[in-house]
Amino acid sequence: MDSPTFTSDPSPGWNRCLAACLGALGIGALLLFAVVIAVDPYDSGRFGLFGIDGVDDRNTQTATVSRARDPQFDSAVIGNSTAQLLNPADLSQATGLRFVQLYLTGGSAREQLAVLDFFLRNHPRVGALVIVADPFWCGHERVAPRPGEFPYWLYGSSSLAYMARLLSWPAIEHVSQRISIGLGWRKRNDPDGFFSYEDIWLPGTFRDTNRPRDPAPAATAAGRDNFPDIALLDDVVKRLPVSVSVVLVVPPTFNTTVAKPGTPAAAERETCNRALQRTVAGRPYSNFINYRIENALTRDLANFADHIHYRPIIASRMVKGIAESIRLGEAAKIDF
Amino acid sequence: MLFNDYPFLLGFLPAAILLCRLADPYPQLRIWTLVLLSLAFYALGNPPFIVLLVLSILINWLAALAYARTKLPVIITAAIVADLAVLAVFKYTNFLGYNLGLVLGRPLPLLDIALPLGISFFTFHHIMYLVDLRKGKAPVYPLGRYALYIAFFPQALAGPLVRWSQVMEQFGRGIYVPGWQREFCLGISFIAMGLFEKIFLADRLARIIDPIYARALLGPVVNGDAWLALAFSFQILFDFAGYSDIAIGLGLLFGIKLPFNFNAPFRSTSIQDFWQRWHITLMLFLRDYVFNPLANTRILPRRFFPVQYFIAMLLTMALCGLWHGASWTFVLWGTLHGCALVICSLWRRYGPRLPVLLGWALTVAFVLLTAVIFRAGTLDAALHIFQGLAVPPNLEPSRHLVPVFIVPLVAFLLPASQDIIERLTRKPRPWLAALVGIGLLALLIELGERNVNGFAYFYF
Repeated sequence: MDSPTFTSDPSPGWNRCLAACLGALGIGALLLFAVVIAVDPYDSGRFGLFGIDGVDDRNTQTATVSRARDPQFDSAVIGNSTAQLLNPADLSQATGLRFVQLYLTGGSAREQLAVLDFFLRNHPRVGALVIVADPFWCGHERVAPRPGEFPYWLYGSSSLAYMARLLSWPAIEHVSQRISIGLGWRKRNDPDGFFSYEDIWLPGTFRDTNRPRDPAPAATAAGRDNFPDIALLDDVVKRLPVSVSVVLVVPPTFNTTVAKPGTPAAAERETCNRALQRTVAGRPYSNFINYRIENALTRDLANFADHIHYRPIIASRMVKGIAESIRLGEAAKIDF
Repeated sequence: MLFNDYPFLLGFLPAAILLCRLADPYPQLRIWTLVLLSLAFYALGNPPFIVLLVLSILINWLAALAYARTKLPVIITAAIVADLAVLAVFKYTNFLGYNLGLVLGRPLPLLDIALPLGISFFTFHHIMYLVDLRKGKAPVYPLGRYALYIAFFPQALAGPLVRWSQVMEQFGRGIYVPGWQREFCLGISFIAMGLFEKIFLADRLARIIDPIYARALLGPVVNGDAWLALAFSFQILFDFAGYSDIAIGLGLLFGIKLPFNFNAPFRSTSIQDFWQRWHITLMLFLRDYVFNPLANTRILPRRFFPVQYFIAMLLTMALCGLWHGASWTFVLWGTLHGCALVICSLWRRYGPRLPVLLGWALTVAFVLLTAVIFRAGTLDAALHIFQGLAVPPNLEPSRHLVPVFIVPLVAFLLPASQDIIERLTRKPRPWLAALVGIGLLALLIELGERNVNGFAYFYF
């Protein structure tokens, strides 16, 4: 090409330019990578050298990894925001176990299974697992992972996949947060992960949003009993030692979204409930509790922030039922 | 494989540079090393269609060889017809079927046809070479050199469209000759510039604009957001100019100087000026291989030459539109630009001279408005955007709208990227080179979030 841009110039200064450019790139990348690796930006337990505890992060997708590996807990509540109001301290007090809250805001069943897997890999001894199975779990087909939305690489077992994600602005931002925690300039999140949405959705208000996302009915009769996420959960539960209590909970919703008996929607729901029930049937100190029923509590608007997010009055009843189930298994008397 | 993704930037590219460095002392290996790398690049991103690319190279090369021996023009004609037929099958079958269905009054079934990446570009490369071969301008080249002309990976997927005469003699030269360090510095600068244009300008705008066009497919966009949709022209400019700059930069790392594709098109003061600055290599191809034959072949009597000239202009631009996609919206977009070029030609001859600022404003307004038709997907969606322009724009300050103001300013005020780079590399400045290195690191960090968007022109 005839262009002044492309004129050849063999002067040795260009050698220095090339060295400066590639040097800045290479040395900068190495230094940055070394700092990020050493700080362990998400407190995932990989490579960290400075012993900084916890994160200051309101994004549950990234913050949960720190809590899910915390050795001071032996039991976990797993779900999405429909599990958020179950206070792990109350559960710990009622059961004598040490509960951590591992909810993921808007988390799908696939994402919750990734958190469950990470928790189990990081806890050789588990006391109890509480899985809050909202309608996501009743899908007849698995929801495909949403690219870039959930950091599966953070919860996976591959250190290489993890390291490949560390040169990113969010990771660098987390490095600065963690260094601030290490220096005592910032407070870390509460270790047990409890965060009440009542601080945002004030008591006495009801928002006509967040209707439960019940999945589409099965396309064929053969597919009606097919719940791929529950099947995966079933595999995990079967591999657990019998000493581990497993309580599967269907969270309550405002009564207008509870399927009327005799309708196809109610039949769909019942099939899903049976699949969940089978997962823990016969297992010691384990139970299935369906709180998605119509009763005085779910008919009262004051007990809900919206169609799926219940208030503390319901949460405390659920905590009691869960604790009772951990003590007595299927014989537990559920007061709801 | 995308130029703006880790597998390419941190895997394929360093490996390719290393292999070419090893092959460089052996002249007989240079071309085939690049050919194999280019085929590997295509196969990694487009596995089933590597066979199509290889067959396309072999058949066209054999046709050139046969023509050189027999001098039978029918061989060249047959090869070009075959090239265009393959392009038509992959790109236009469903478009033809849909319209045939409308004519027959019963819809025809749509076929599930995937578009091989880069098919338009390698078809045009074949045509340029074969036409020039028939005119006696081009010689017959060995298979390796011809294969590299078609498949050279920096430009195989989306250009720049390169004349055989611009690169054939560059292929096979040593890369690491005195002065190669400056070529590398230039190459890295072009790659950094291209990544910046793509990631920080085009993709940032796309995040704002794409939802608006998605809404336009469903109904009128009436809340003032339609004005934001006009920024699509800037998005596509920096998307494609970014790609072209990366391609030019990559070419330099392998010792090949590719032609520039953009020259600050939003500083144009007429639509003619615009088309001399936008996708330059495509417009040169259309001028030499479509417009000139249409305008200069004696079809109408001599006294009607101006009529034939303007019809050729309209047809060329309509074909330009159709090349961009198998849809009537693209044809309409091209035809509107053809009309504008005709009006501009007539105005220059018979009309008063327009003030430069007015010419610039009219050109920009025309380009922005017609780009809505280009982007909208359907005529209804375009109308939904145009209806939305009746509502005043929502000018409430919002951080997320910053790109809508910054990116057009960059397009209006800054010179073309090659001019910026030329000014910055007149003499060696190590501190500036170090800054480019740090800038590249920042771009790689941005890519670390994995929000990688494909280049728009891959689909044309």
